[in-house]
Amino acid sequence: MNKIPVIIDDKSFEVDPHKTILEVCRELDIEILTMCHLKGLTDIGACRLCLVEVEGINKLLSACTTKVAANMVIKTQTERIKKYQRITTELFFADRNHVCAVCVSNGKCELQNLGYKVELDRIRYPHLFPQCEVDTSHPWYVMDHNRCIMCTRCVRVCNEVEGAHNWDVMNRGHQVRIISDFNTPWGESSTCTSCGKCLHACPTGAIWPKAIVQGQLEKNPGMVNELVERRKMKL
Amino acid sequence: MDKRKIFISPVTRIEGHANITIELDDNGNVSDALFHVNEFRGFEKFCEGRMYTEMPTITPRICGICPTSHTLASVKACEMIQGIQPTYTANLLRRLMHIGQNLSSHALSFFHLSSPDFLLGYDSDPAKRNILGIAEKFPDIAVRGIRLRKFGQELSERITGKKIHIMGIVPGGMAYPLTEENRKALLEWIPEAIETVQLGINIIKKFHEDNPEMVASFANSPTLYLGTVGPGGEHELYDGKLRFMDGDGIILQDQLDPAKYLDFIAERSVNWSYLKYPYYKPYGFDKGFYRVGPLARLNVCSRMKTPLAQEEFEKFKHMSGGKPVHGTFYYHYTRLIEALSDVEDAERILNDPEVTSLHIQHHGRWNYAEGIGSSEAPRGTLFHHYKTDETGKLLKVNLLIATGQNNPSMNRSVLEVAKQYVKGDDIKEGMLNRVESTIRCYDPCLSCSTHALGQMPMVIEVRDRKGELVKRVERN
Repeated sequence: MNKIPVIIDDKSFEVDPHKTILEVCRELDIEILTMCHLKGLTDIGACRLCLVEVEGINKLLSACTTKVAANMVIKTQTERIKKYQRITTELFFADRNHVCAVCVSNGKCELQNLGYKVELDRIRYPHLFPQCEVDTSHPWYVMDHNRCIMCTRCVRVCNEVEGAHNWDVMNRGHQVRIISDFNTPWGESSTCTSCGKCLHACPTGAIWPKAIVQGQLEKNPGMVNELVERRKMKL
Repeated sequence: MDKRKIFISPVTRIEGHANITIELDDNGNVSDALFHVNEFRGFEKFCEGRMYTEMPTITPRICGICPTSHTLASVKACEMIQGIQPTYTANLLRRLMHIGQNLSSHALSFFHLSSPDFLLGYDSDPAKRNILGIAEKFPDIAVRGIRLRKFGQELSERITGKKIHIMGIVPGGMAYPLTEENRKALLEWIPEAIETVQLGINIIKKFHEDNPEMVASFANSPTLYLGTVGPGGEHELYDGKLRFMDGDGIILQDQLDPAKYLDFIAERSVNWSYLKYPYYKPYGFDKGFYRVGPLARLNVCSRMKTPLAQEEFEKFKHMSGGKPVHGTFYYHYTRLIEALSDVEDAERILNDPEVTSLHIQHHGRWNYAEGIGSSEAPRGTLFHHYKTDETGKLLKVNLLIATGQNNPSMNRSVLEVAKQYVKGDDIKEGMLNRVESTIRCYDPCLSCSTHALGQMPMVIEVRDRKGELVKRVERN
């Protein structure tokens, strides 16, 4: 396959066409922050953390959903991008009730790591402190909407990899919620297979197993892509 | 009658925030004294709706001084819900961490907060009557006190990686084992820790000798006492049954199951403090005041488990001919006897061949809708009580905290000392410090104890520059 020339952060590269900017950057070890992206799942550009500047285009583009093109000039580390990443991260924390100190995911949380990456020392926006439900109805797992950032990785892994489509999204704006089936308690779902893939896909402490406490959580999000690749090999 | 009031605000060198109001009559004599706790937490309420398994992580955040006691009471409640027991090694490690916290807290209470009164004097310059003043005049004692606290914290750090707000105590046992390297490192601390505690005992004994009248008369009314004891009535901090004793040393109830605490303890709210008033149920609110903590534990127990502590315990018991010691001042002495027992017990556990075993956790799941756990916090007996639905979601949380149980006695002690030392026309700073130090004897942790929500009537008083009451707004 013919490679195409691109310039990323003032350096020239020959890259595969048909790949997204994010895929190309990851292959070249250029760091781009992500939250809704999970290798093996369809990208949706929802979290707005992977924004990049492309010369000739005024608006910022999400690297996970934008394909590279010949002679594209991309910038990944500008002050403008960093400013938006910081704003986005602050809004994640302000939107729901994230209390790292008592969270089961403390120390192993992608959102917490993101906070460190963008050097989050305060949140400038008023916290919304919404009243969110903790769904404990499933015999093995808990869904805590307080800690959900609406990345929808659980929705996509359940639909695309497990094929169950237990999870979906309801409402809009601040009212938006992940729902099980047609908004029934998770434990009463007729589609959930209790496979646990959503637990591994979840980047925060929103979905976690009942049997463990803080310090014991082990998530393996890389498992999703491994499954996808193995299935391709069989085909 | 035109009452005058003296406010002591804030009460210093305690954990938390509080005020004391002393009311004087026309002649300047003390007519009443109130200990107000003006912090508000709300843990009992906002934990509702969470999974019960999160409580061992959430409740230690109540307090940075006694997080391990909260975790232990919490995991015990969780284990009752699951119907499981921790492994033998897990119990050893939990005991070690609990000892560490008790030692650390007792060192803080004695060397950092209280020793300035004993070594520098109650009437010394308030600006220097603190740990920095001790460091200036008695550097060796200050360093030893700080290192004793460090040892206590290291007992947790070397097992779980954290000094405060530890992780790793989980329902069914422990998440982390103790390595051989850490076991050896902890054992190296023992000789120094014993020396430091004995130094503290000598300091307090010398103060007793130099101030016999003050020590003997310092808030010494009889109360009931509650503490945890082992099967043979021995001193116990981590796991045991409860014993109630009256002021004459008669055991009212023994080997009580902590899970049945509601059968013998009730609580009442008052309109001038966020701290509730627990009392011994069979005796009712007026006569059921009881005390918890080191003085209570040593009053109720029959013996200490370790030789040096037992030797000191016998001297303590000899003071009152085997009867309970009521003097509030003796909290300091009993705190140090406990610290001695802690260090000796830590050595015993660290030499147990099973302490480094990897068999540290049993696994369980929700089986019962109710769980109650208790442990002896540095300040006294602590209860966690959870009720859940059939999925494990918490419906009700009740936390009965040690400081809360000492609350009625603290109030009475403040009044007694105020009557003894405060005369309206002659109020000196050192006099107020004596009233404050009554509270300090109990080493109260107000952050822990003010966790109630929705039950406490709130009163706001507006006063003019002369201190006259202008407006009073009362909720409920």
